[in-house]
Amino acid sequence: MIEITSGKQPLRLANPVIGAAGIFGFSGEYSRLIDLSKLGALVTNPVTWRPRRAASGTRVVPLDSGVLVHTGLPNPGIHGVYRTFATKWKNGATPIIVHIAATTPEEVGQCAQVLETAEGVVAVEIGLNDEASHRDARLMIGTARQYTHLPVLAKLPLYAAQHVALAAQEAGADALVIAAPPRGTARDPLTGQLVGGRVYGPWLKALSLRAVGQIAGHVQIPIIGCGGVHNPDDARDFLEAGAVAVQVDSVAWVRPEMVEVIARNLGGLELTRAAGALADEWRPGLGETAVMRAQLLASPPPAIPPDDLPE
Amino acid sequence: MQQAQAIIERVRRVSASTQHLDLAVEKSQRNVEAGQIFLARRTESSDPYLREPWTPVSRNGGTVVVERPATQHYTPGDVVNLIGPVGKPIPLRDTARNLLLIAYDSAPTSLLMLADDALRKKMAVTLALVGTALHYPLDGLSQEIEIIRGDSEGAWPEQAETLRWAEQIVAVAPPPFDLLHYGRLLSALQDIRLDVPSDYAYVLYQPPMPCGVGACRACLLDYGKEEAMACQDGPAFDLIKLKAVTREAGR
Repeated sequence: MIEITSGKQPLRLANPVIGAAGIFGFSGEYSRLIDLSKLGALVTNPVTWRPRRAASGTRVVPLDSGVLVHTGLPNPGIHGVYRTFATKWKNGATPIIVHIAATTPEEVGQCAQVLETAEGVVAVEIGLNDEASHRDARLMIGTARQYTHLPVLAKLPLYAAQHVALAAQEAGADALVIAAPPRGTARDPLTGQLVGGRVYGPWLKALSLRAVGQIAGHVQIPIIGCGGVHNPDDARDFLEAGAVAVQVDSVAWVRPEMVEVIARNLGGLELTRAAGALADEWRPGLGETAVMRAQLLASPPPAIPPDDLPE
Repeated sequence: MQQAQAIIERVRRVSASTQHLDLAVEKSQRNVEAGQIFLARRTESSDPYLREPWTPVSRNGGTVVVERPATQHYTPGDVVNLIGPVGKPIPLRDTARNLLLIAYDSAPTSLLMLADDALRKKMAVTLALVGTALHYPLDGLSQEIEIIRGDSEGAWPEQAETLRWAEQIVAVAPPPFDLLHYGRLLSALQDIRLDVPSDYAYVLYQPPMPCGVGACRACLLDYGKEEAMACQDGPAFDLIKLKAVTREAGR
């Protein structure tokens, strides 16, 4: 097990690769394509105190080597999410980290309190918005800290990461997630309108990696790298820059199998790149998802011939 | 649903604007049904970043035929990574005898497999092509499908009679103008019927789908008293349950 955070209730994961918020749904939506048990943990889609509806208008704009997505953070509210997914979290193969969108300190605190006793939930992640100030970071993280004994991860906005990192640490964050996908604006080719949203793509790695490297030397709490990880080398670069774990995001949309490849690689299930491993040695098992394995287990085992068969 | 490799076995130019690709697909992907799609990726590069929606138009044994624009280049032997089948089959009522398919401003590709299924069930099938759908080449379509040519405003000759004749309707329109067309369709139906019943008119909602598994929620929509996701519950939705359409029709 890898100790991601220390403290009274440490966060220990079997693998340093974590599914990022906004990508993997609320529990096992990807289980038909990815063996989620290979991941250290899954961060849920953002949750708010009150239900939120999906954004109107264009939600997805293709970019050169990337995509802009604006969903509006639709979710049924913390109680709706808890009602629907608590059993799945409890019985799931992957530890769950619930992402709480930082709306107001009170709502963040109340959400964290609801999750306090949820089985299968190993931490909460507070998503600070792009305009978060030092004060906002202190208020949001500090309030979450008051309401829960679970480890509190602070997900920092990319362009303000350096400015709010220390504030989040001082407020009691157990780890920093650097960084949330930045906001951008792009023209929807279908409507001709400008659309704002979060941007994803492999190029994001260079920006996040720099932020991780710069902040790693200034904080005393662990850092989880996030942004643009699309292969094991990307993930290892974050570890080299000072992160203890990485979150994978939109690679799941473009190449779901790569999520498992990255997790296997960093989890020690593949030889390191320095040794020049042959990926084919373990690739045959890839894609054998939890659903497929359950089907295999359900089928009767092959008959075993008795030992005393006449020759 | 599964992620698997497929091989392009044959490339056929079926018209000036479209081509058909014969794909040798994995066993679990051979049972794709009308309305379901594949999310395809042909390249290791990040451009295009998201997977392309590939729409099957027929299937035969281990081969699935998809329709693609003629502007894209494909070579037999190319390997394609497919996720799918994505979505649910378009419901076809057993009791319906007359099926009306409507393509508003888009190729009727998503409706072709359904038309074949309906013909096999001895249903009468009419396809109305409206707006830019008029440019769709008809050479490859079954002779048993009646074709109606509409205008650029979204209507066609004797529209009320055709709508009265139909016992089931399925319409397709491209985003972002789908709601506008579907709203007009609902208004036209309300003009000729006292009550538009459920399970009568379906419309296809096919927005971009980053994940295809119901995780990212980018294709969420209000449907009846609940929310639905196009990638999981669609693409066919009952016209009268789509709140955005009923709002559009009320304007």
